Amino acid sequence: MSKLLYVTAALLLILVVLLLGLQVGSFESGIATIADAFLYYNPDNTTHFAIVHLRLPRLLLALVVGASLAFAGYLLQAMVNNGLAEPYLLGTASGASLGAVVVFFGFVESTVAGFYLPPVLAFAGAFITTLMAVMLGYRKRQLIPSQLLLAGIALSSLCTAVVGLLTFLSDSEGKLKSIIFWSMGSFERASWTLLPYPAVALLLALLLFIFYQKQLNILLLGAERAQALGLQVAQTRWVILLTVSIVTGFSVASSGPVGFVGLIIPHVTRSMMGASGRWNLLFCAFIGGLFMMLCDLLSRLIYPPVGIPIGIITSFFGVPFFVYLLSRKNYNF
Amino acid sequence: MKQKLHLFDKLCWLLLLSLLLSSACSQTEKPTEEGTIVLQDDLGREIQLEKQPLRVVSLASSMTEMLFAVLDTSTIVGRTQNDDYPAAALTKPVVKNYPIDYEQVLRLKPDVIFTVEGITPPDDAARLEELGVPVYYQTYASVEDIFNGLEDIGRIMGREEQAEHLTDSLRQQVNELKQRYQAQQRQPLRVLAITWKDPIYVHGQNTILTDKLHILGAENAVQEVFDQPYPSITREYILKLNPDVILGDDREKMEKEFFGQYPELRKTKAYQQGRIYGTTDNLMSRPGPRVVESILELERLLYHE
Repeated sequence: MSKLLYVTAALLLILVVLLLGLQVGSFESGIATIADAFLYYNPDNTTHFAIVHLRLPRLLLALVVGASLAFAGYLLQAMVNNGLAEPYLLGTASGASLGAVVVFFGFVESTVAGFYLPPVLAFAGAFITTLMAVMLGYRKRQLIPSQLLLAGIALSSLCTAVVGLLTFLSDSEGKLKSIIFWSMGSFERASWTLLPYPAVALLLALLLFIFYQKQLNILLLGAERAQALGLQVAQTRWVILLTVSIVTGFSVASSGPVGFVGLIIPHVTRSMMGASGRWNLLFCAFIGGLFMMLCDLLSRLIYPPVGIPIGIITSFFGVPFFVYLLSRKNYNF
Repeated sequence: MKQKLHLFDKLCWLLLLSLLLSSACSQTEKPTEEGTIVLQDDLGREIQLEKQPLRVVSLASSMTEMLFAVLDTSTIVGRTQNDDYPAAALTKPVVKNYPIDYEQVLRLKPDVIFTVEGITPPDDAARLEELGVPVYYQTYASVEDIFNGLEDIGRIMGREEQAEHLTDSLRQQVNELKQRYQAQQRQPLRVLAITWKDPIYVHGQNTILTDKLHILGAENAVQEVFDQPYPSITREYILKLNPDVILGDDREKMEKEFFGQYPELRKTKAYQQGRIYGTTDNLMSRPGPRVVESILELERLLYHE
């Protein structure tokens, strides 16, 4: 019961941060204005417009991306049975950066048929890199987790090197600014048109894993024991991998790669909820979203109006907490 | 012993420097007894020249324009890979300015290198000076600073007359524009100038654009002073500024790459009134002798479009 209480508390905190976050921006706006904007929305009132069309999608995107990365990290750590795993280990982030950077360097048009290409190519880059890592990690009709991670790291380095080369050859400062965005992430591009992609991907993935929860927990016992218990290990791994790639791909394409969340939030979850529990995944997603919303809010409060790149904040606040977690004696992966 | 000498050397330099500073001149030029000329550049760095320079290299595109406007072109022996103006510059050997091609610099044997703050990193300048090539930096916060820069170059290179002739004419044009627009009683146009679309970066208060707009009786919509000359801002910030005019690219390109991506900004006054204009990038971004041309381009966009 107390576990459910944690989940409810996380959900309530999300609502509180949402309310606080809605008040932060260039236009002055207190709770009354926020309430006004939702209850008596006036499209000609720019404050209302900013609250509903800029601030709300930004906060929700932070929530969705934080939840996605935490959730994907949790799945991947369970799959490879290693607490060092994080969603970007498969090369997803660097692949996305490379995809987006290719546009900024003018190799392709930035807008094609009304579609703004950087997020599209970022998703393609993320997905292709992950796919290549999976192909390299696949041997004798079996997915070998350690090989998969090594392939991911190698491909990641390759993509980073290509981005580095393009950065070095860059002839304009502006391009470097785009690269900063695509290496540290930001939620500034959030909009109601962008939000549904990562949100729907996350919701479907969460729904799927309500059914796969049991298999996931059995997998935590190790591949051999799981196999002995009748689990179709290979199939479960494929489901996890596909989910992680899609969820991470969409989140990185919409906000750039935001580091650290996918690594620490699963640990936070297990330290509070235990190694396996029926509410773990949901709690992990909620806490990931909450953490990301808080980080975005802090980044904008510290350095208005755009905020410090979000990856810097997640590390600044995440690392001390992570160190505390590691130093606690009664927590092990 | 060696160290003591070194200390003595330093003290001597310090003394020399304080003497130079006490002569209280922003741009000092003093031939010493041995014929060495000691200068102070816009960053307050001291530069020593053995003789009146006859061979110069530019490490910034705007500086190339400055040099070509004032100097005898035969004294300019190198330019950067990005230069495209004036056409005569293209005939000069290229020195890559990032990363600096030190060997090419040495091959061209310049007596001094002229560059602009922000283009050449101080580390590179220190390395060049170790190699025996003095580096003279200029920096400009206003249109008048650019004119002073032209005159400084003229003085250093023995072309005072040419420089003053040019700056007199440029100043006169600026004064005419000021008289025409600053006296008008109307509400100044608030102009937002975009330098990069994703993420959004704009011309801040600390850029020459602010001064150019002021000359035309208009103002930079970004009134807040940020740490960076070109700050990054949010869509909400732009909605709050609600500028009268947005400068960036031409309307079609902006529609595709800017407003298509940020449809929320279609609510701005500038968009609603169709006041989205493209400027000539090299004119807008280079602080050089064509600054008046740049102001005239802005004048056309703000008042005659």
